[in-house]
Amino acid sequence: MTERGPETSDADTIYVFAVCRDPDPTDVVGLTGVSDDSAVSTLSLGTLTAIVQTVRAADFTDEAWQARLSDQRELERYARAHHDVVSAVAARCPTVPLPMATLYHGERRVREALGEEADRFRAALRRIAHHAEWGVKVYAPPSTRVDRDARDGRDEREGRSDRLERDRRDDPHDPERAPARQVASADRTRPAPGAGLAYLNRKRGAQERRERGQNEALRIAEAVDAEVGGLAKASRRLRPQPQAAGERRVQVLNATYLVAEHRAEELARLTRTLRERTGARIELSGPWVPYSFVGEV
Amino acid sequence: MTDVDFRQRSYPVPGPQTTNLADILERVLDKGIVIAGDIKIELLDIELLTIRLRLFVASVDTAKKAGIDWWENDPALSSRASRDALQEENRDLRERLKELESEAPERKPR
Repeated sequence: MTERGPETSDADTIYVFAVCRDPDPTDVVGLTGVSDDSAVSTLSLGTLTAIVQTVRAADFTDEAWQARLSDQRELERYARAHHDVVSAVAARCPTVPLPMATLYHGERRVREALGEEADRFRAALRRIAHHAEWGVKVYAPPSTRVDRDARDGRDEREGRSDRLERDRRDDPHDPERAPARQVASADRTRPAPGAGLAYLNRKRGAQERRERGQNEALRIAEAVDAEVGGLAKASRRLRPQPQAAGERRVQVLNATYLVAEHRAEELARLTRTLRERTGARIELSGPWVPYSFVGEV
Repeated sequence: MTDVDFRQRSYPVPGPQTTNLADILERVLDKGIVIAGDIKIELLDIELLTIRLRLFVASVDTAKKAGIDWWENDPALSSRASRDALQEENRDLRERLKELESEAPERKPR
């Protein structure tokens, strides 16, 4: 924490989590938000209501955020704090989440800035009413892509390193070994006829298998996206997430869908069916507050 | 963070019970309705952020393998990586060829 600045400037900075329709003021009671200094509260915008918290200006400068983005615990703390307020409020009333770290200089500015956008908020509320967001991730089946290719790759490398070691043992530049080598050269491990060709074929085979595996994984990803998209109102493809070290799996689809509440069961069933049919690992996450579907479409 | 409990379990919270950070970040960071705040904060692209975070999560030893390298070198995710894979293979083949050629003339005089 920095030195205590003048209270007035701190009191002027307002963090906005979301915009809601008809929240009960008690909906925000007990929420921690992003600061321990003040409570999460509501701020009327007329027909809509902002979910806000007064924060210390010094904690929300761009510099403070750049430092936070490099500190996993801090970033996680704020991301979850934002997400928890949004989720809690959305459980009680129709809610449009705002991006993390949306800040204004005082209540008057919040009313001005968000009041001007009332039409967009209302359109977003209509769009997501009685819908939830569900994330679907597809990982390439180990048998068709990751494991087999990784194994092939390893075999290739091991085979080659064995060969190199063998060649090193027969090092012609080693004077001690030279005479023996001359004698032994007839039955020396000279490449069998066609060994080079076999090597090329083996390489080509591995490459073809890898390509087949990739095509198959991408085909499954497209099929899953199409099927899930079929029961969704809208969908978005997100960037595949990098996997942790040592994870052999490859994420081939990271998508998110806006699904009607009454179709949630259907989505769960479809996911199970797709898992069985494709053999791919498919992860379903949700229900989320429809973060990904309140923007311009 | 055990000292700060942001979770409100007293009433039903929509959202997966076990949410991983990357899933939350890709939703709370950009997406959503675009509303200009008074205080401009540059939020990093989620991809850059997860890579950056991964480098922190991973130990120093595994960091190189974990983050940027893994991402950039996976042929399934990057066309550049596919190209690199091809180049690597070509290099392997050229080395093997050189190896074979250098052996060949030695045998002739016999």
